[in-house]
Amino acid sequence: MKTNRILWTVASMMMAAAMVLTACGPAATEPPAATEAPMTEAPETEAPMEEITLRVFAGNVGQELELTKEAAGRYMVLHPEVNVEVVDTPDFVEDRLGVYLQLFEAQSPEGDVFQIDVIWPGDLAEHFVDLNEYGAADVAGDHFPAIIENNTVDGKLVGIPWFTDAGLLYYRTDLLEKYGYNAAPATWAELEEMARTIQEGERADGNEDFWGYVWQGNAYEGLTCDALEWVDSSGGGTIVSPEKLITVNNDAAIAAVEMAASWVGDISPDGVTGFGEEDARGVWQAGNAAFMRNWPYAYSLGQADDSVIKDKFDVSPLPAGDAGHGSATLGGWQLAVSRYSEHPAEAADLALFMASYDEQKARAIEGSFNPTVMSLYQDEDVLAATPFFGSLYDVFINAVARPSTATAPQYADTSRIFYNGVHSVLTGEVDAMTAFEEMELDLQDLLGYDVGQP
Amino acid sequence: MAGLKKLGELQKSEERLAYLLLLPTLFILVAIAIYPLATVFYNSLTDKKFASSQEVSFIGLRNYRELLSVTVKELPPVIDADTGEVQIDSETNQPVYERAINILPREPFRFRAMKQFNLFGKMYVIGATDREFVRAIGDTLAFTVVTVILETILGLGVALVVNANFKGRGVMRAVMLVPWAIPTAVSSRMWEWMFNSTRTGLVNVVFQNLGIGNGQIPFLVDTAWQIPAMITIDVWKTTPFMALLLLAGLQLIPKDLYEAADVDGAGMIRKFFTITLPLLRPTLAVALVFRTLDAIRVFDLFQIVLQNTRFSMASFAFYNLIDSQTMGYSSASSVVIFVLISVFAVFYIRLLGAEND
Repeated sequence: MKTNRILWTVASMMMAAAMVLTACGPAATEPPAATEAPMTEAPETEAPMEEITLRVFAGNVGQELELTKEAAGRYMVLHPEVNVEVVDTPDFVEDRLGVYLQLFEAQSPEGDVFQIDVIWPGDLAEHFVDLNEYGAADVAGDHFPAIIENNTVDGKLVGIPWFTDAGLLYYRTDLLEKYGYNAAPATWAELEEMARTIQEGERADGNEDFWGYVWQGNAYEGLTCDALEWVDSSGGGTIVSPEKLITVNNDAAIAAVEMAASWVGDISPDGVTGFGEEDARGVWQAGNAAFMRNWPYAYSLGQADDSVIKDKFDVSPLPAGDAGHGSATLGGWQLAVSRYSEHPAEAADLALFMASYDEQKARAIEGSFNPTVMSLYQDEDVLAATPFFGSLYDVFINAVARPSTATAPQYADTSRIFYNGVHSVLTGEVDAMTAFEEMELDLQDLLGYDVGQP
Repeated sequence: MAGLKKLGELQKSEERLAYLLLLPTLFILVAIAIYPLATVFYNSLTDKKFASSQEVSFIGLRNYRELLSVTVKELPPVIDADTGEVQIDSETNQPVYERAINILPREPFRFRAMKQFNLFGKMYVIGATDREFVRAIGDTLAFTVVTVILETILGLGVALVVNANFKGRGVMRAVMLVPWAIPTAVSSRMWEWMFNSTRTGLVNVVFQNLGIGNGQIPFLVDTAWQIPAMITIDVWKTTPFMALLLLAGLQLIPKDLYEAADVDGAGMIRKFFTITLPLLRPTLAVALVFRTLDAIRVFDLFQIVLQNTRFSMASFAFYNLIDSQTMGYSSASSVVIFVLISVFAVFYIRLLGAEND
């Protein structure tokens, strides 16, 4: 009997070990199912070269994936010897980064071209090739210089800019008119007042599910973007200043986040603290919100034929706070080529093709993705499809950058401390003063920089 | 004598053969269990970063200290500089205490406030260096206890029903398994929609009709609702599995026992407690061990539905490995989880095993 006990004990230990390992090991995750791009029948060439396959890891917010697949299809027509597979990646930026990191840790040749966020070049530079060595140097001058600079790490061009983003205020023109407003709100106070009036009015008219203002409040990178806009437009700085001072804890920033916290359950849904971009767009595009903060991609989707708010909305710069100006967080995505790719030259060629004038033009027209090629902002076809590219040009070029350069290679952790802190204030778990003090201490521990005022 | 000696030799050669035959198993165990486990343990003593070429250095037990340090400190009342007396909050009429963030130690690791409580008129604060991890342990244990109890009771009910003789029993047995047959990734998403924070979510609509809430309850964001929501999903999903195991046990009970009980005039309840339950106990024990160890390492549900806003122990380890890239730290948390589960498993099995003897 005794041996039996021991056996049981050993067996149970083994079982526990196996369970922990399967649950937590650096899982050998299969990459998400690759989807073949639609146009696979490439014309036959006379001297068939050995076919190579390139995998593009791309986003899937709104129509992103569809447009990327179309671009891949066009590339395959031009280059029949190349087979391009577009791989879908998670919507949440952190999850997407997780997928990439697992491939990089394994130094896997599984992915060739990666769609990377504007905040990643500093953190991920070691995993990508220098695109300047593959012909990007000739075209880099066509793109916004600020983005090229952002993507250049130690003289190495980590990613070719693909599209840029800036936070915008979407508003319902029909409702503003209905309640007697003749322009989009210029300040946060005005936004609050208008949102409340419209919300009360619409609810009294029978739409119980109507909300004044929807935005991104979940604890993720998107909240860093939203909160940075509140804080910077109130004169509260940009978390960490370009001079490497931790400026997060100041009265203006605290007041700005307290203002946003007061919206939750009032002019914004209680669940907004769980919203990402697509959750906000879901409420907005169903016609259940007067205002929305989102990126440009939501424009063409809202203007689609099956959209109930088609031609009933417009976009404007985000409202101003005490700083006297509005702030839009700089977003945007680049295409980078993995150092572990088996075909870096072909992959770089594909990346440059996808970021070229014509391809960016197609994306701008069909998906309202902001081009990074400057001359496209004067292109008539682009301006006809998305007029605000012209009228809000200043917003795009003056967008405020997240402190990814000042904090590299610790930006991801910096942002996490910030959005978790802000989120705890929004949900009412912690008071704003304590939350900001904690953020400051955490950032000091993480970065070792001095504390300063914005 | 010679025969005995020969027998001894035979025994020895058989022993050798036995060891030889065990070798492949041993090899596989080392390769797939011991080696990875040892690697995790070794990593837990370093500051290794995931997906980075950064140099790795050995830091001893630092990760463990950062994970598990917990302290309790008294919060002194704030003394008014002018009057020299304890400050009283004008709104609540309670004395004002020093803020926890100023009292909790910051070296060598910063303690973060977890909970404040009043004891014998003094205010205390519990601080932890990693409150997320401490909370994850608490949440996972609560999740485990509640789900296992609910699933056992409900599963037994379902098993008794589909064990009874009625028309369409075969169909019922198949239907019963549907929730369990759906991959967790899919059912989690489904429930995520049902728990949606607006009236597009089914649960909110039902609650509103029942007079609970205003149809805008953020179940998956509100900390008070998160764990109950997780428990609901898991009970829905795993009760069929419990029922299946128990059904197998029920079918092993000889029918003639019930016939004899009928002859003796025993009622339904009497039959259940004197025949069904005692004879089902071995099956129940196995099912409980399975479910408990399964629940305590829950990962997918928390990862998919709560998306890093709140962790189970396993999703905490994953988060630190992938999102924070702190491989050493994550390994340390995995080792702590491993020890916890082992202790649990050993106690559990001993408890049940002892009764069986």
